[in-house]
Amino acid sequence: MAVSSRLDQNPQIVERTKTLAFQQNRGRNLLLTLGAGLVFILLLWFFTGLGSAKLTQALALFAIWGVATVSLNLINGTLGILSLGHHGFMLIGGYTTALLILPDDARQRILDSGRSAMTETTVGLSISNLFNAIGLGGLTGDDTLWLRFLLALFAGGLMAALAGLIVGIPSLRLRGDYLAIVTFGFGEIIRLSASTRIFAPLTNGALGFAGVPSDFGKSVWWTFGILAFTLFIISKLKYSSYGRAMESIREDEIASEAMGVNLAYHKVLGFVISAFFAGVAGGLWVSWLGNARLDNFLFTLTFFFLVAISAGGTGSITGVLLGTALVIFVRQYGDPLEETYAISRWLEFIGIILIIAGAAFLLYRSFNRSGKRLPDWSVWLFTANLVILLLGSPVFPAINLGKIGLYIFLIPFLVLPFLPNVGDKSKGVGWIVYALLGIGVITLLIGGISPGAGWLTGTFRGFGMRGIALAILLIVIMIFRPAGIVGRHEFSWGWLFRERLDQPTDEERKQDAWLSNPELNRAGGAAAVDTEEDA
Amino acid sequence: MAMLEVQNISKSFGGLRAMSDVSLNIEKGEIVSVIGPNGAGKTTLFNLITGVYTPDTGDIKFEGKSIAGKKPNQIVDIGIARTFQNLRLFMNLTILENVLVSQHHKLNSNWLSAVLRTPGYRAQEKAMREYAVEKLAFFGPRLQSFRLHQPVYVLSYANRRRTEMARAMATGAKLLLLDEPSAGMNPKETREITQIIRRMRDQGGYTILLVEHKMNLVGEISDRVVVLDYGQKIAEGSYQDVVNDPKVIEAYLGKKAEDSEETEVQKAAKMDGRTI
Amino acid sequence: MAVSSVSRAKRKVNWLPWLLLLGIAVIIIGRIIYLYSLDPRFNTAFFLRAFIESVKLGSLYALIALGYTMVYGIIRLINFAHGEVFMVGAFMTYFFFTFTPYPWFISAIYAAIIAYGSMRVLEFFRGSMRDPLVLAAGGVIFIGLTVLVSSITFPFWLALICSMIFTGVLGIVIDRVAYFPLRTAPRNSLLITAIAVSFLLQNLGLLVFTNRQTPFRPDTPLIQPLQLTVGNGQVFSNWLLLAIPLITAILVVVLTLFVNRTRLGKAMRASAQDAETAQMMGVSVNKVIATTFLLGSMLAAAGGAMWGLNFGSLNQPAILGILPGIKAFSAAVIGGIGSLPGAVIGAIIIGFLENFTTAIFPKTATFQGVTEFKDTFAFILLIIVLLVRPSGIVGEDLSEKV
Repeated sequence: MAVSSRLDQNPQIVERTKTLAFQQNRGRNLLLTLGAGLVFILLLWFFTGLGSAKLTQALALFAIWGVATVSLNLINGTLGILSLGHHGFMLIGGYTTALLILPDDARQRILDSGRSAMTETTVGLSISNLFNAIGLGGLTGDDTLWLRFLLALFAGGLMAALAGLIVGIPSLRLRGDYLAIVTFGFGEIIRLSASTRIFAPLTNGALGFAGVPSDFGKSVWWTFGILAFTLFIISKLKYSSYGRAMESIREDEIASEAMGVNLAYHKVLGFVISAFFAGVAGGLWVSWLGNARLDNFLFTLTFFFLVAISAGGTGSITGVLLGTALVIFVRQYGDPLEETYAISRWLEFIGIILIIAGAAFLLYRSFNRSGKRLPDWSVWLFTANLVILLLGSPVFPAINLGKIGLYIFLIPFLVLPFLPNVGDKSKGVGWIVYALLGIGVITLLIGGISPGAGWLTGTFRGFGMRGIALAILLIVIMIFRPAGIVGRHEFSWGWLFRERLDQPTDEERKQDAWLSNPELNRAGGAAAVDTEEDA
Repeated sequence: MAMLEVQNISKSFGGLRAMSDVSLNIEKGEIVSVIGPNGAGKTTLFNLITGVYTPDTGDIKFEGKSIAGKKPNQIVDIGIARTFQNLRLFMNLTILENVLVSQHHKLNSNWLSAVLRTPGYRAQEKAMREYAVEKLAFFGPRLQSFRLHQPVYVLSYANRRRTEMARAMATGAKLLLLDEPSAGMNPKETREITQIIRRMRDQGGYTILLVEHKMNLVGEISDRVVVLDYGQKIAEGSYQDVVNDPKVIEAYLGKKAEDSEETEVQKAAKMDGRTI
Repeated sequence: MAVSSVSRAKRKVNWLPWLLLLGIAVIIIGRIIYLYSLDPRFNTAFFLRAFIESVKLGSLYALIALGYTMVYGIIRLINFAHGEVFMVGAFMTYFFFTFTPYPWFISAIYAAIIAYGSMRVLEFFRGSMRDPLVLAAGGVIFIGLTVLVSSITFPFWLALICSMIFTGVLGIVIDRVAYFPLRTAPRNSLLITAIAVSFLLQNLGLLVFTNRQTPFRPDTPLIQPLQLTVGNGQVFSNWLLLAIPLITAILVVVLTLFVNRTRLGKAMRASAQDAETAQMMGVSVNKVIATTFLLGSMLAAAGGAMWGLNFGSLNQPAILGILPGIKAFSAAVIGGIGSLPGAVIGAIIIGFLENFTTAIFPKTATFQGVTEFKDTFAFILLIIVLLVRPSGIVGEDLSEKV
């Protein structure tokens, strides 16, 4: 076999180039996806069968918000346009769905209440009435509620998509911060207008709609089914030519236009599709809540989505779902944070957090500057400790650690950064980190030992702690890992099997004189030394 | 009828007159170079042709049809593509993706077909990839195989320039505007790019308009040379004619002291575009 | 300020905005005349009061808008958290005149923060923090305040000043912790971080105050009633009607003098034009930025305190700063972001938009429902301005070079 020093003359390599990743192993991937889907369905069935309403609700909410975050990421991550008005689209979709699907007794209550701004006409806007009017009266029973709900969802999505069209128009003229503000403004305008005299007949003003059927929003099957549909559409879009065009707009708008991409079309397309799914998510959201109220569509919602997207990773759909799971966990299971505890326990909690933060910062700094990686055992130890401490902390007392246990589990955090062969000690770290550690220890001790009680025995309610936790998380992520936990890496079967298309195969390495030169090719491959030109 | 006809275009930005009454014709299959001192308006000319700016007066015709006032992406559809002086690649996309984006405008499938991966879409996608590989092959083995899937930011400067040229070629344009294609390249690379540009015309069938500063490159491949200074065309002709033209020499080097009656102040003022 | 991808030299029709303005003026004047003839309630006194009320509201927004515009001018960041800084300023003032005296160690903490803030302010005039006068002043303020905060109940004016300095320090801290590490990051990241800081402050407010309203009635002559006779009508209000615009005017004048006449002010203007070059010319841009945050936050705190006085109570912390913040930002953009007079002009316009329209289109009059939209006016005008004339009333236009 002749050794060719020119890759483009080796027929096998040329062949590989031509087929490329797009269509390799499609059959295998499809089977794996189906298999994984089956496993996932079994898992869902198992978890819902456990009988915990809280878990089922959390799972359903994860799916609902997953639809919202993945659709938001189409604009924020793929198109690169920071959009802050997603809650507005959800509002439109949610209210449309609620209005169309509200059961008749709830409608009657609205009319009877006398305080409502709705008229006979607007209250009568339901799919049941529509069906009756066009002769499909047989489909108005309870057994076909699911069909009507589906149609209502779709209608909600369409209305939201229309709004997306409107919001997309400024995106053609504005960029960056200004566009973000305009989208925020739209979100607020939608919410503020919804209670005014003009729209109150349709939205019932500040009262909203009570009695939205919640079987669908709380059902994991419905929500995950719709999530699967959303994922299908959006991931197929993202990894198609249109997705590439959108990403090119994100990378460099001017170059993108210069290469033939119609900016207006793709931006508006992104907004419309994103808004559609946001509307659908809104419809599921009102179903989950059981009612449609303006207070459920505050900017806070978009903030949660932003945290989910940024923490997870704007570059990948898997990352966004991870981030959503994190946010849902904090929201649904973070109640213990917002209870009332003795001040001494709060101090213990704060002390723990400060010590963990200080240790993490120390480790991060010393490793960041030395360029080495944390030894694996320390990462596992760190993570395991973190989990145990969280669960056994005074605020999340799932495991009763007791004071001694608490202090024992904190020791690695205090000791690890100072061990001899961990990190690069020669580089200094700011005094503030040691201060953090010190304050943490002192606070912990004060809380733990409660010297001279007095005001330490008072109680304090942690109202708003969840928001604080998420906000701090977002700030930390933005400063230290803006790409998110996962970054741009997308989960794929190819990744699982370590099919690295951007590395040369062994055969290519042998065939190429440049690549097979050990002096030039370190672990990173030829890409790592791409600073000179070959002949 | 010339392929590209630039007819008396002018462009001002506020008080600054960037282009004054410039006319230029480019025949199919030519390689024409535009040279001139810095700030002469060469990139502005490119921007005007590609639709980034609209000329204040005058017209630009491509294959007989007026293109002045069209948007850049429409002009790509019509058949003109460009590279950028300071490189504008899509940094986080792979090489292959960069060269695929420029083909997107030719795609016949709508977004729904793309999402559903219809056979029509699939076939087009396959064709686009093969076309992309073909264009990248102009530059030898460097941008092939596993390299295709590496993000562009790992590339060296010269490789980035090559990728950008391949990206422009992949648009399927007939006329390519190359803005300083050899900037930042050493002599060996410059020689190579010179050959490649010639091959692009000879084998690829492209017509090429290029802005360059390196006179050896210009001299070697240009059929014609156009000289701009202060937004005006001051000379046009073969390389030899232009290089010996006294107006061109003056633009680059200034007049010889004994021939000039201007004072230093007047010269400086003239450089600012004012007269004293 | 990148507005559109590149400038397209189309001849814009210049007369359109003026025509619109004329039309609006005609409508307003016509409406006033109509109301005047309709009902004796709508007399000169009424309109005069509405006018000054609008100026008052505009002044409050102006104090917040200046912070937005200054920060944007230098680091091109829309400081989402500024509305929350305004909220903190309002609540800090409340703390100072309600809960003083404090236990000594808490007094010490407050005193330390305020002393630090005062030292930063004095730094403007003396050039460096290590100057003996600055250090001495810092020490004196620290000790003095510790004693003061732990012994007396603060009068409103003292609470206001302390709150201003305290909030100024908060502004510096926010910049140092959240924005400084992101100086080189893409703009989207910075904006998201600003949103996160805003959310953090809102929830911290919730933590401390839960979701109740807080009455804001310090013992100060400013809220004493005021009665003016105009024409054949009476204006019943309080001294705030005149005091707020006056105090705002003083603060704005001081700020403008500072920016135009002092070295640090010149450094600020230079950094706003070209931060990189300013740095190469020896300007410590980071210090300039910190100063900008200090000044902007101080003004916002003043705005917050007077807001509380004006409305007599403070909304819950999670809500208080949101709407005023976004309206003030709209004001800054409408006037021309990056420009100080622009921010004030824009704020006055927003004040009028919100207040005067409510006056001339009251709910009882025939055109119902308009006033319910009053909160959206600022947004709508903002969007219109951004689409039509993004540089605002006063500002300049910058496009990206291809």
